Amino acid sequence: MNRQIELSLTLYALSGEYTTGKYSLEDCLRAAHEMGYKGIELVACQMIPEYPYPSKKWMDEFVAMLKKYELEPVCYSAYIDMGTHPDRDLTREEIIESTLMDMTYAKYMGFHLVRTQHAISPQIFREMRPYAEKIGIRLAIEMHAPHNPEVPVWKEFLEIMKDSDGWLGVVPDFSIFAESPHRLHLIQAVEDFGCRPEKVDEIVAGHRAGTDEETLLAGDYTEAERKFIRDLFHDYGDGHAHLEWLDLVLPYTFYIHGKFWYLEEDGIDRTIPCDRILPIIRKSGFTGYMASEYEGHHFSDTIDAREQLGRWVRMSNRILDHC
Amino acid sequence: MAQFQSYNKLLVSGQEGIVNYKTGDFVLGFVIHCQYPSYRGSYLSCIQEFKVFVDGEEIPEERMYFHLNGKQFLIGEFKDLYKEYWFTLDKAKLLVLKDGGLEEGSTHAVKMTMKHLIPYTGYNGDYLVLDSADEKELTVAGEVNAL
Repeated sequence: MNRQIELSLTLYALSGEYTTGKYSLEDCLRAAHEMGYKGIELVACQMIPEYPYPSKKWMDEFVAMLKKYELEPVCYSAYIDMGTHPDRDLTREEIIESTLMDMTYAKYMGFHLVRTQHAISPQIFREMRPYAEKIGIRLAIEMHAPHNPEVPVWKEFLEIMKDSDGWLGVVPDFSIFAESPHRLHLIQAVEDFGCRPEKVDEIVAGHRAGTDEETLLAGDYTEAERKFIRDLFHDYGDGHAHLEWLDLVLPYTFYIHGKFWYLEEDGIDRTIPCDRILPIIRKSGFTGYMASEYEGHHFSDTIDAREQLGRWVRMSNRILDHC
Repeated sequence: MAQFQSYNKLLVSGQEGIVNYKTGDFVLGFVIHCQYPSYRGSYLSCIQEFKVFVDGEEIPEERMYFHLNGKQFLIGEFKDLYKEYWFTLDKAKLLVLKDGGLEEGSTHAVKMTMKHLIPYTGYNGDYLVLDSADEKELTVAGEVNAL
């Protein structure tokens, strides 16, 4: 068994169960334990009732539950809610305040990593490094689609990480490698948005064959179908994952978001080419946690997240144990 | 937007039904419940537009009081409420003014629409603004005299 890369569960994967009240926070932690995960990620703004100011009482109870279910607090996910004010973006002082406080809450609950977001800006990110070191919390920016290592601001971020003695890093999210639509996206296009099934197939085939966006948009399609075309190019680019991006981010990677939307029973991800991604991560020497991040709950509320997570774990172990 | 879509169903909360709001012998109106339609919570200041329709008829904004976090707000105040966080699981209570309330046991089509900005999404400059809508059949069951 490969134990260089441990699997964690981001509780966000259970969003569907959690938001509808089917699972309480404790149910989510119990599920993580029952599924064999060793660690968890907490999305603060999702599961802390007093957010953005968690009480000591809540945090103590959370820590007690982690102990009860033998789970390591791996990643505290913070947000930079730049658009909170209708008339302006967050100020530098507001970004620093929320980031610093998130680091203290994370520290209190025993996390060693805070995931933040790109809107922190290169300048403030760099300024947080001494705090990271003094508090003993690593700070990492999530790289999520539509961003990628070639976006100008990310070139700056990667330089800052390089010079941070391991205190500042990146959490790559597999959404950046998504190359073709998953089943739930196709079902949603037809059932929720009224696209014609045969047109959806035609569009997907065109995207896969390398037809460009403008050419596809010029076809005989309804407004819903044209929107589907735009979403396809937004979410899956030109249909080819840029695996070379891995080499650019892995040296500064603290944690990985193993994003996925839907896996068939055969446990092969046809949206995100994990069969090619995971061996590269393994060979890079990365050690640490990779989170199962099921995200099909954005598309459908009829899918069993635990079944999906089980398929993803089996897939990951199959690949990691044979490379 | 393909993402977020599935959460729209949270907006009108079905569990609580409709309850009349009675003060003394007078029924001032009725109360319905709503939940923020996302996987996470948000600040009320991110809600750009919030409309409620009962049996197809839009409720005028001045006849709705929005109750959350132990406080009560007018819809027009949302833009200033950047410190009021609407937690993922919290059901906001919406008091709708209507003399006499709604008939006990009657069923009504309750529809809500919300235009809301997702505050962390400015990846390439523009924030994502979602249009969420949800409609449920709710039955009037009981009354309260305090929120």
